[in-house]
Amino acid sequence: MERAMPQAVPLGQMEVFQALQRLHMIIFSQNVSPCGKFLAAGNNYGQIAIFSLSAALSSEAKEESKKPMVTFQAHDGPVYSMVSTDRHLLSAGDGEVKAWLWAEILKKGCKELWRRQPPYRTSLEVPEINALLLVPKENSLILAGGDCQLHTMDLETGTFTRALWGHTDYIHCLALRERSPEVLSGGEDGAVRLWDLRTAKEVQTIEVYKHEECSRPHNGRWIGCLATDSDWMVCGGGPALTLWHLRSSTPTTIFPMRAPQKHVTFYQDLILSAGQGRCVNQWQLSGELKAQVPGSSPGLLSLSLNQQPAAPECKVLTAAGNSCRVDVFTNLGYRAFSLSF
Amino acid sequence: MSSESSKKRKPKVIRSDGAPAEGKRNRSDTEQEGKYYSEEAEVDRRDPGRDYELYKYTCQELQRLMAEIQDLKSRGGKDAAVEIEDRRIQSCVHFMILKKLNRLAHIRLKKGRDQTHEAKQKVDAYHLQLQNLLYEVMHLQKEITKCLEFKSKHEEIDLVSLEEFYKEAPPDISKAEVTMGDPHQQTLARLDWELEQRKRLAEKYRECLSNKEKILKEIEVKKEYLSSLQPRLNSIMQASLPVQEYLFMPFDQAHKQYETARHLPPPLYVLFVQTTAYGQACAHMKSSQPPRQDKTLSVAIEGSVDEAKALFKPPEDSQDDESDSDAEEEQTTKRRRPTLGVQLDDKRKEMLKRHPLSVMLDLKCKDDSVLHLTFYYLMNLNIMTVKAKVTTATELITPISAGDLLSPDSVLSCLYPGDHGKKTPNPANQYQFDKVGILTLRDYVLDLGHPYLWVQKLGGLHFPKEQPQHTVIADHSLSASHMETTMKLLKTRVQSRLALHKQFASLEHGIVPVTSDCQYLFPAKVVSRLVKWVSIAHEDYTELHFTKDIVEAGLAGDTNLYYMALVERGTAKLQAAVVLNPGYSSIPPVFQLCLNWKGEKTNNNDDNIRAMESEVNVCYKELCGPRPSHQLLTNQLQRLCVLLDVYLETESHDDSVEGPKEFPQEKMCLRLFRGPSRMKPFKYNHPQGFFSHR
Repeated sequence: MERAMPQAVPLGQMEVFQALQRLHMIIFSQNVSPCGKFLAAGNNYGQIAIFSLSAALSSEAKEESKKPMVTFQAHDGPVYSMVSTDRHLLSAGDGEVKAWLWAEILKKGCKELWRRQPPYRTSLEVPEINALLLVPKENSLILAGGDCQLHTMDLETGTFTRALWGHTDYIHCLALRERSPEVLSGGEDGAVRLWDLRTAKEVQTIEVYKHEECSRPHNGRWIGCLATDSDWMVCGGGPALTLWHLRSSTPTTIFPMRAPQKHVTFYQDLILSAGQGRCVNQWQLSGELKAQVPGSSPGLLSLSLNQQPAAPECKVLTAAGNSCRVDVFTNLGYRAFSLSF
Repeated sequence: MSSESSKKRKPKVIRSDGAPAEGKRNRSDTEQEGKYYSEEAEVDRRDPGRDYELYKYTCQELQRLMAEIQDLKSRGGKDAAVEIEDRRIQSCVHFMILKKLNRLAHIRLKKGRDQTHEAKQKVDAYHLQLQNLLYEVMHLQKEITKCLEFKSKHEEIDLVSLEEFYKEAPPDISKAEVTMGDPHQQTLARLDWELEQRKRLAEKYRECLSNKEKILKEIEVKKEYLSSLQPRLNSIMQASLPVQEYLFMPFDQAHKQYETARHLPPPLYVLFVQTTAYGQACAHMKSSQPPRQDKTLSVAIEGSVDEAKALFKPPEDSQDDESDSDAEEEQTTKRRRPTLGVQLDDKRKEMLKRHPLSVMLDLKCKDDSVLHLTFYYLMNLNIMTVKAKVTTATELITPISAGDLLSPDSVLSCLYPGDHGKKTPNPANQYQFDKVGILTLRDYVLDLGHPYLWVQKLGGLHFPKEQPQHTVIADHSLSASHMETTMKLLKTRVQSRLALHKQFASLEHGIVPVTSDCQYLFPAKVVSRLVKWVSIAHEDYTELHFTKDIVEAGLAGDTNLYYMALVERGTAKLQAAVVLNPGYSSIPPVFQLCLNWKGEKTNNNDDNIRAMESEVNVCYKELCGPRPSHQLLTNQLQRLCVLLDVYLETESHDDSVEGPKEFPQEKMCLRLFRGPSRMKPFKYNHPQGFFSHR
């Protein structure tokens, strides 16, 4: 863990500025490379840093191997979301999605491959993109964010094929149901909407805040995170973290967690969630808290499970949020070390 | 054979009748007695070879006779006894012969022994003689080698070479015809020549000494003449003074300063010369006005010149050598014999002694406030210190929180990063301190002034950390190279401190002064108000629960100034802990926030508090205002008020609670939340007046 000594080191103007920047850094997004050996992390200053997981996890890891191997300015605003195809790293934040070649990034020559902007209705402010989702079957990318729509982009041609309307406030998160080409989206308006990609229609709407069991009006209605596993869906945010049965659209389990959750994911027979607070929470499907593993950031925004079959030695859980550090959990039990900007 | 004979004799003795045999024996004894000496002589005459033959013959006869006797006895018979008797007589005769031969052999043996002994004694005598001779030879050889090894004194004398000797020495000394062949004579001659030469040189030396004496006397005379000239020149100068004044040419005044400057120690002298030069250069650049009137930099020397002169009179004291001063101290202590504590105290005082002269530097800023700097030189430590004082054109009301801003102790702290002026810059000093029991210089800086690094540089003193040098010499070029930047830094420091001073006065009254040229940064209506602005101690700052991050990041050193601001709106109270770096305003103040409204909110549990902190701390550049950005702190505080307004007004209303919102939304916002961490629209857009997201 990287922590400066609380001693009066003489600092110049530049050092003070850098220290302040690090102090106020927020890491919004992370993504593992297709080979599974590298981790990209995007922060609120629009920078993307590439960490080498294999170097940091190797037995002869030094302090330097926990620093980024390359950092580049990707966007003007924060990098809210990133996904990887088998060759590209796609990053989005301030209204644009940009593509970078993994091969070139690793060679440290970082030039964007292309950039696309969804067709926005003109507005004073360019809406942000909060979530990216790859639909491998269609070879397309779904973008969602500030303009309350889901935009589908064909990765082959780079054109925006359709827009899905329905949300009344901005969209926080997306999730894909693998078997049937359906997409779930959750937003600030407190609704989780299920979209059929073939017909481009809204199939189902769950207004979570209207269910008394999980509504928490002092936290707001917003849905901050969403994950799905066939008929099951877990979502959280302002309302409590809740496990839903989709077909009957009823909440089955309400997880007793007071702090709003910002990221949730299914892992084997567990649900992992993170949000306000230092800990990564592990839940049984029955609603029991299995474990709370503390990290180094005061609040977490994203979790990333590296399950690439190409790099079994790098199978780790990484968590990042309100600090310049990415915590690495080699097993789910404890934090091994932190990567740091 | 002898045993046989003795066997034979025994029975004969038994059988013989005593008397006749006795008588016969007695007779032969007397005969032998008489013949003793003749028998001795007989030995010489007789041939031993023939005696041997005789002996053999006698033995054979005896054998034969015995055999015959045995034969007769065995045969027996009457006549045999006669025969035997006859034979017995014959064998007796033979026995006599044998006895005779035996005696002779004994005498011969004795004689032989005597001869051998004689010869042996002779040989021994010869051997002894030989050894004596050998010893003598050895001794003589030793003597010879001793003589050979003897070294004469003349060999140590470095003589002129042989060729040179024959070339230069007069013939009566060299005597070539004698000395050429005889090396002994040659050496003697060379030695003579050497003696001659040395005599001549001694003569020359004496001459030179007298010459020197003469010249010294001449110098003395000339000096006297020159010193008699001084009063006359002085009177001429005195007479010319009114003329100078009349013509506005202050040559004399400057001259006097230079006269005093001669007594300055080297570092202060370098400082004096360089600052004077810099001041003149600055004055010349602004040549639109008459040069003397608009002087932003004035230099003067203070202190007693006489004391400085006294310091220089005994030449060994003029060197600030520690061994000298130690010796001096020992003398004084011997005289007084004070207690140990007083002794140490005296030693400390001696070590920290300042040179009686100091250089005063007055730096005038644009608003007529003046920074008075007094530079001292600590003779025994070989470092310079500075005391600072700021005077302003108008009387200042000192706000409580501004106590440290213009205090001499901290006004110049960290002019360059890390230069807090509390440690001695000379690495050698630590050892001196150990001797007299000074822990650090920190305890003495209030009294002595601060030994900032830039002060040493202005004095041309450089103390490299890697290779400590014994003597550090004041260097003009070093001083010159740091002069301009340091003067500029000093000026900006004073100006920013004065600006802060003024701002603090109104901050304490709850007014955040926003100048008109920074008005565009804020909306017209700001509801949140600053209600408290106090300075706090460093320890108190580090103990606050919401400042942990700053302390851990190493941004809260003890050279910084710490303040606590309280911004209020309605029931919401926002505490802001402020770190003010001495390098303000090039290094921004750092704010840490803690909001008390519906529970306690810090950057640990509220992303928007975190965002507000980064708005003032990281995005400070847009708040700097016009250069030299003295408005930064007040703009940051005003921004904080605006941020609190936005935070409170955009807080989502809890539908379940009855009644109206405490803070109705008055700000114009495009959107309330944005992004995964649901940021509030903190960015103010100037001409349109709405708030958006960064």
